Amino acid sequence: MDRMLRNRKAIVFFVAPAFVLFTVVLLIPILQMLYYSLCDYNALKEPVFIGLDNFKTLLFEDKTMRMALKNSLFFMIFSAVTQQIIGVLLAVMLTNIRRGRNFFRNVIYLPTVLSSAALGLLWAFIFNPKFGLNYLLDKLGIQGPLWLMESDGFIVLPMIVIAFVALWQYVGQNMMLYMAQIMGISKDLYEAARIDGASDTKTFRFITLPLIKPMFITSLSLNCIGSLKFFDLVYNMTQGGPSNRTQVLATHLYEQGFIYFKYGYSSAIAVVLLVLCLIVSLIIRKGIRVENYEM
Amino acid sequence: MMRKKLVSVLTISVICVSMLLGCSVSTDTGDASLNEGNTSNEGNTSNEGNTSNEGNTSNEESSGDATEISWIFYDDLNVSEDLVTKGYKDVIERFNEDYAGKYHVNVISTPREEYDTKLNALIASGNIPELFTCHPGPLMEQYVDAGVAADLTEILQKDNPDWYKSFKDGIFDKLTYDEKIMAIPTNFSAALVFYNTQIFEEVGVTPPETYDEWLEVCEKIQDAGYTPIACSAKDPWCISLLAGYLCDREDGPDNLQGVSEGTLDWTSESYINAGNKLIELSQYFQPTAAGDSNDQANAEFTSGKAAMLVQGSWVIGEINGRVPEIEEVCGAFRFPAIEGGADPDRMMVKTDNIMLSSKAEGDKKEAAIELLKYFTDETAQKYVAEEAGKIPTTNVEVDTAVAPKQYNYVEEVLDNTTATFGFYNESLATTEAGDIFDDAIVEIYLQNATPQEAFQELQDYYEKNVW
Repeated sequence: MDRMLRNRKAIVFFVAPAFVLFTVVLLIPILQMLYYSLCDYNALKEPVFIGLDNFKTLLFEDKTMRMALKNSLFFMIFSAVTQQIIGVLLAVMLTNIRRGRNFFRNVIYLPTVLSSAALGLLWAFIFNPKFGLNYLLDKLGIQGPLWLMESDGFIVLPMIVIAFVALWQYVGQNMMLYMAQIMGISKDLYEAARIDGASDTKTFRFITLPLIKPMFITSLSLNCIGSLKFFDLVYNMTQGGPSNRTQVLATHLYEQGFIYFKYGYSSAIAVVLLVLCLIVSLIIRKGIRVENYEM
Repeated sequence: MMRKKLVSVLTISVICVSMLLGCSVSTDTGDASLNEGNTSNEGNTSNEGNTSNEGNTSNEESSGDATEISWIFYDDLNVSEDLVTKGYKDVIERFNEDYAGKYHVNVISTPREEYDTKLNALIASGNIPELFTCHPGPLMEQYVDAGVAADLTEILQKDNPDWYKSFKDGIFDKLTYDEKIMAIPTNFSAALVFYNTQIFEEVGVTPPETYDEWLEVCEKIQDAGYTPIACSAKDPWCISLLAGYLCDREDGPDNLQGVSEGTLDWTSESYINAGNKLIELSQYFQPTAAGDSNDQANAEFTSGKAAMLVQGSWVIGEINGRVPEIEEVCGAFRFPAIEGGADPDRMMVKTDNIMLSSKAEGDKKEAAIELLKYFTDETAQKYVAEEAGKIPTTNVEVDTAVAPKQYNYVEEVLDNTTATFGFYNESLATTEAGDIFDDAIVEIYLQNATPQEAFQELQDYYEKNVW
C-alpha cells in the first residue's frame, strides 16, 4: 500500500477521474457564472462585459431582490430553528420507544424522498381557496384565508405556509441524522448516569446534547444552505407570487434567467447566493465550538 | 421480521415511485395509435428537464428514412379537451399520414405556464425545434432580434404566392418586423365579455353598452345571488386582460403610444382612472378570485355561478370542449365604453403564430413549410371556426350554421370593430415590462397599492430601461 502511494502514476490514476469530474461539472461552470455575472448576456447573442453593473442594480435598485433576500433569510432562520429542534426531539423520542420505531421513522422520513414537484402541487391543492383545507373550514362555518395569495405583513402568509410545508417535508432528514448520532452513543454512559441518579431530562441535557453537537453542525449547515437555495416548493406552490411577495433567491434567479433571458443578471444573483452560502457555512463552522468526546 | 421486510419493501417502492414522478417529459406525435409498442428513436422518455428535442417520441415513422422535424406547443395533443388543440392534433395526424415515409413531425408538449421557459432553454442550448409557437409582442421581437426565427417573406410572397394570398388582409401586420414576415398565424381570437343569457334573462338585464351601465347590471346580478364577473388574479394575465381593456377604453391608443414613445407617464390620468375603475369593478368578482386560477374562473362561469367572463375567444373551444351545454346559454358583447373615453369599438385581438427556426435547412425546412401549409389549409381553418370557435386567418368560407353559437357573436362584434390592439401585457417594451404591468394590476386589485403607487413601478422601470 505504501509503495503504491509513493507511485506518482498511481496517485494520478486514482485522483484524475474525480479531478476531471469536479472540474467539468463544478469548477468550469462556477468560473463561467462568475464571468457572465459581469456581462450583459441573454444567451442568444455574445456576452458584453459591463463590469459590476449587474451587482449595482441587484443590490441597490432591484426591489424584488430585496424581497427575495428577506424571504430567503426568513426561510433559512425558520427552517434552521424548527427543523433542528423538532428533528432532535423526534430523534430522541424514536430512539427511546420500543414499539413502532421503524414505522414512525419511515413515515416521518417519507416526505423527504418524495418528489417536491408532486408535493408542491399536492399542497397547492390543499391550500386552494375552493377545495382542500378551506372547503373543510367552510363546512365548519369558518372562512379560511387565501393561504397562497394573502399579501399583508412583513413576511406574507404564503411564505409562512411554504415554510411549514418545507418543515414537514425535511424534518425527517434531520431526525435521521440525529438518530444515527444518538444510536452511536454508548449505552454505558446512560446506565452510569442513571446509577448516579440523573433524571431523563438531565441525561438528555448533559449526555445526549453534548454528544450530538458534531452532527448539529453538519445538520445545521445542510439545513441553512438548502434553505438559501430553496426553489421547488416555492415555484410549485406560488411561482413567487402574488406580485413577487414569495420570491426567494433561487426563484428570482430562475425568473431573470429563464423567463427574461437575462442570464448575466441571473448569474449575478447566483454569485450573491454562493457568497451567502459561504458566509453562513463559515459562521456555523467558526461560531459553534465542538468538543470531541469518546462515545 | 416479516413486518420489517414489509416496511422496507414498501419504503423502497414509494421511493422508486416518487423518483419516477415528475421525471417525465411529454413528447407526443399527436397520433396515439402510432405510439403503441414502438421503439424510441433516440434517448429515452423519462428524462427530467430534458430540453433536447431528440429524446422523444416512439412511433413507427420515426425509425424509418423520413425527415424528422419537431414542433413545440403549449398543450398536450393527446389529453387536452381544448378544441383548438384537438384541431392541431388532426393537422399533425393528417400531415404524418400524407407524408408517411417522407416527412414526420414530432410534437414537444409542454404545460402552458412552462412553455416560454422551455423554449428559451431549447434555444439557449442550440436545440431549436424546426417550428415553435410564439405569441406576438416583445418575446417574438426578441427571437427576431436574435436571429432565431427565419424570414418567411420570400417563402410566402415569391415561392408560394397562392398560399400568401389565402390569408386575410392585414393579418401579418403584427408579425412583420423591418418589412419581414416572421411568423404564420394559425388563428386569432378577440377578447370580449361572455355572458350567461339565462342569468341575464332571469335578472332582467341586457348587455350593457357603457361602463356605468355595466356597474348597474353587476349590482342587479349580485342582488339576485349570482357572482357578476368571474375572474382570476392567481393567473395575473386574466385580470390584466380586463385591466388592459379599461386602459384602452380610457384613452387608447394614445396612452399606450404615449408610454411607448416616452411622451406620457404611466402615472397619467388615464391609467390612474383605469386603476380606480378596476377597484370598482373588482367588488363584483367571485370572493375567491384572488386565489382562483384561470381554469377555476372559467369553471365559475360554466357552472352557472357567475354571469360574465371577460376572456379571449379562445375560451370558446375550452369551455365548449369541457361543458358542451354552455354553448346554448353563452352570449357575448363588446367590452363596454367609458363615457368621455376612447373609441369603444376598438377590439383586443391576438393571433396564435408559428415561427420557423432559422436553423432549419434543406429537407427539414421543406418539411416545416409543408406543415405550416397544413396548419392554414382549408380543412384546418374551417375546423378553427366551425369546431373550435376561433377566427380563421385565411379567407376560408365558414359554415356559420355549424360553428359554435359564440363564434357568430364574436363575428358580429368584429364586424363593427374600427381598430384592433394587442393584449396589453404583450404590447409593452419588454416581457418584463408586461409582467410588471400584470403585477401592478394584481397589486391594485388586492389593494396592496393605490393605482398611483402600482403604476409608479412601471414608470420607474420605463425610466430606467426603456426611455
